[in-house]
Amino acid sequence: MRDNTLKYLLVLPAVIVVFATAIWPLIEAARLSFTVGRLNRPGSLERYLGWENYVWAILEEPAFWNSVWVTTIYTLLTVGLTTVFALGLAMLLAPGGRLRSAAQTLLILPFAMSPALIGVSFRFMFNPEFGLFDAFFGVMIPPLADVSWLADPKLAFAVVVMADVWGWIPFLTLVLIGGLASVPRDTVEAAQVDGASGWRVFKDVTLPQLAPVLAVVVILKSIFSLKTFDQVFMLTNGGPGTATQTLSHYIYFNGMKYGQIGYSASVAWLMVIPMIFLTYAYAKFVFRKADQ
Amino acid sequence: MAEIKLSNLTKRWGDFVGVDNQSLHINDREFLVLLGPSGCGKTTTMRMIAGLEDPTSGEIWIGDRMVNDDLPKDRDVAMVFQNYGLYPHMTIFDNIAYPLRVRGTPKADIKPRVEKAAEQVELTEFLHRKPKALSGGQRQRVALARAIVRTPKVFLMDEPLSNLDAKLRVTMRAELKHLSRALQITTVYVTHDQIEAMTLADRVAVMKNGIIQQLGTPDEIYNDPANLFVAGFIGSPAMNLINGSISGGMFVTTGGTRLVPVKALDRAKAVLGVRADDMDVHEEGQGDIDVKIYAFENTGESTLLTVQWGAQRVIARGDRHLRKDQDDVVGISLNQDHLYLFDPETENRIRM
Repeated sequence: MRDNTLKYLLVLPAVIVVFATAIWPLIEAARLSFTVGRLNRPGSLERYLGWENYVWAILEEPAFWNSVWVTTIYTLLTVGLTTVFALGLAMLLAPGGRLRSAAQTLLILPFAMSPALIGVSFRFMFNPEFGLFDAFFGVMIPPLADVSWLADPKLAFAVVVMADVWGWIPFLTLVLIGGLASVPRDTVEAAQVDGASGWRVFKDVTLPQLAPVLAVVVILKSIFSLKTFDQVFMLTNGGPGTATQTLSHYIYFNGMKYGQIGYSASVAWLMVIPMIFLTYAYAKFVFRKADQ
Repeated sequence: MAEIKLSNLTKRWGDFVGVDNQSLHINDREFLVLLGPSGCGKTTTMRMIAGLEDPTSGEIWIGDRMVNDDLPKDRDVAMVFQNYGLYPHMTIFDNIAYPLRVRGTPKADIKPRVEKAAEQVELTEFLHRKPKALSGGQRQRVALARAIVRTPKVFLMDEPLSNLDAKLRVTMRAELKHLSRALQITTVYVTHDQIEAMTLADRVAVMKNGIIQQLGTPDEIYNDPANLFVAGFIGSPAMNLINGSISGGMFVTTGGTRLVPVKALDRAKAVLGVRADDMDVHEEGQGDIDVKIYAFENTGESTLLTVQWGAQRVIARGDRHLRKDQDDVVGISLNQDHLYLFDPETENRIRM
């Protein structure tokens, strides 16, 4: 067998798997998004409707725009907070940082938990009657006693953000520790001797050299944040009202609960648009780095 | 401008001793080279002066200030790193200007000073480039310019030439020497290259296992080595070290040859040190001893004869026009004014 043929044969299984689990569902979803697509109406999965589902989502449906808004704010907050915390932790945990050893092992723990588990455990911790936070805040800051965290739209949103940031910090910290390790020590020491303060060394020398890794971290986390579903489902189920209903949750709700498969497929495809941009940016950054 | 005093300086990592209770006084405007094999503590010593490493014990003085607790930025030193430590995201201009900027130099002063420093190291035409676009030698110059752009109390140079190719190293060495004479700033220079040490230094401190073996002018460490380590480390080819004993005022090789008269008391074990240049090559029968050539090498500027001397091999330098072949027999005589005796047990010099 020629090497060339073998090459393609070896890649084939991976291509088949990707096609079966990603490409085909995407195509099928695209087809469904142009149909009436109601699970409780026989034959409607085949009835062509044109762009109506899309038009409905964009022009007629405030709940769609609510979930777009929730997802946007949620993404901005979680990406920002996770990156900042992860960068701080990475600085402390990097070789030569101030904390290391056992802390690094402990750190990975939240990442080992499934998002759904994080959701459940945070729901218990914020339970107004017997939750950990209620007990803690009740003692430390009396005015915060007996607050129903998950019943207030703003607070519930904050809790969802917090759970996500908590769960994602470890992974991004590990990535950034790797990034920091690739910043040449010489340049940092040169800046120290040149007369730069700790902050200026960080700002002028470390950060610019960390930028490519940081960009990858931000893009990756953006993709993950946009897709968030499990935590929201377990923690608030989108509520109170629709205060924490992310796009993924909205899609699930319409498709699975209300049986509007066609409509939810069209919203899912609307969500593919920012994803494509982010994935493209991610690929560009990663492969540009590999080129150098 | 300042002198540097190290007193009882020690650096340990767990059980490993990097620098072992060393004291050293570096004079104002002196060019001091710390020379030794890798792991001898020379770089650690320099990094402690820079403030990049904290000493386990001991004091570091720069000028009349004890700097142990000062951050690197407050010590007023400039350092050239082995890998240059250039900021890859900044242009050459910004690299050189950085020490001025972080120290709050007025904007109007920065440009002329950067340009002057760049001119001193002949980089003027590259100021707008990034370090990536420069060759190794040019990057080295940028690192130098960044050090000389302000006038620090002390220059620290950590193997600055070791990443350059052999030819460039020779050129840069001369430029460094010229520059250091012109600037007249106290300099500590770390290297494992004895030629760099010999050519650049006012004084050399030869280090091994965290201990300074000998401190002296290049002349002193070459012509008056304090112990076997210094004798073997300095010089290329290395000093010949011949095992034997001293009996009746003569050095006797382990093979039993009564070789040369030495002014020392009898002892059962001694090492005779003689440099290749202090051995004269004659025709067979005309030297102190006849030996067979093991290898004959012509370097162009001279010839090197590795000869079989009993159980040992010894290298002698011959005239550049000498032509011999393997297995030829030649006579060797030793220049008796430049012989060194060492005690193989203590490794110290036996003064004649």
